[in-house]
Amino acid sequence: MDGLRLTFHLAGINNQNFLMRDEETGSYWQQISGLAISGPLQGRQLTLVHSDELTFATWKAEEPQGTVLKDVPKYAAQYEAKDWDVRMKRAPVVIQFAEQGMKSRDLLLGIQAFGASRAFLYDQVVKEKLVRDHVGAEPVLLVMGPDDQSVRAFRDRIPGVDGAPDFYRMTASESGALLMDAATGSRWNFQGCAVSGKAKGVCLEPIPMLKDYWFDWRNYHPGTTVWRKR
Amino acid sequence: MKLSGRIRWILVVLACLAVSLVCVVYPIYVIRPFRAQGARELALALAVCRFRPVLTVVSALVAAGAAMAYWRAPARMWRRILAAAGAALVCVLAALARVNVYELMFHPDDHPAFAATAEVKLDKDDKLIVVKVRGSARAYPIRTMGYHHVVNDVVGGTALAATY
Repeated sequence: MDGLRLTFHLAGINNQNFLMRDEETGSYWQQISGLAISGPLQGRQLTLVHSDELTFATWKAEEPQGTVLKDVPKYAAQYEAKDWDVRMKRAPVVIQFAEQGMKSRDLLLGIQAFGASRAFLYDQVVKEKLVRDHVGAEPVLLVMGPDDQSVRAFRDRIPGVDGAPDFYRMTASESGALLMDAATGSRWNFQGCAVSGKAKGVCLEPIPMLKDYWFDWRNYHPGTTVWRKR
Repeated sequence: MKLSGRIRWILVVLACLAVSLVCVVYPIYVIRPFRAQGARELALALAVCRFRPVLTVVSALVAAGAAMAYWRAPARMWRRILAAAGAALVCVLAALARVNVYELMFHPDDHPAFAATAEVKLDKDDKLIVVKVRGSARAYPIRTMGYHHVVNDVVGGTALAATY
């Protein structure tokens, strides 16, 4: 922030979304939004770094040269179970938004982009494997990975190609392609890049997406709508 | 009604004690798990957190001065000891006001270390938060992040905080 590297610590909670304090200025930051809500930097916004939530198998195949955060041996015995987010569904909540047929601890994939917010129930996306929808006026695509657990979102437009691409899902192939589009007849992998066909080498624009519980997502995105299968 | 000098010193110690207690207890009361936080009370509690290091030190100095003045006044010994204990408590609260309970409860990963993907022993279905910055790919296992919650890191030359 302004040339100052901030070091964050978990320092509080705000309706079950945690607060971070930075050592350098003592400001408090909301985890979900990256907004400073108190202190000398109040009102400032951290820049979001695009991230994905993937299984180890999928990531290892995509990034064999990548590096992984190591356990801290002193605490490793106390680490969470791998299905932590599912286990936490039983935890009580302190704020509730009984609307749009959603339950407080429903796990969803939330997108805030193009001037709108949209929530997709995680279990339904897993079932569908490919979801074509809109966030605001922008067509988007949610794609299930080859592991049937990881999900990525993209703009449903092929850069440099006019008109709707009309993606559809293929059965898994050796080239790693999951999708094919009717506009160019190209095959696309889970990273959103065309691996063969006219569009080969072209990549779709990824859209940041957050896996969250309904009560937390709705609290920070009061205008959110929820996708339902028609 | 005019208060005697002695009583005034006691009132000063009590006022300092009240200010310091509020500084320590109010944020803990508001910012606690499994309780809904209102926007105004949260803003007030965080403002208290911001200014309490100074407020509580000033309180401790004033309380110590008042207790010393009371000690010199002709009063019963147990009352003098009580005034001194009150001032000592204000000093203890000044020290406590420098502690964030959450930062004690949650153990940060202050010196994050990383391993090559090939060396890591994770299950196939272990979930990771992954980023790629300027060609550098980094993954944060959710089992680990669910415990530490925040990791301050540099990826591809960019300082970032991974949070979960």
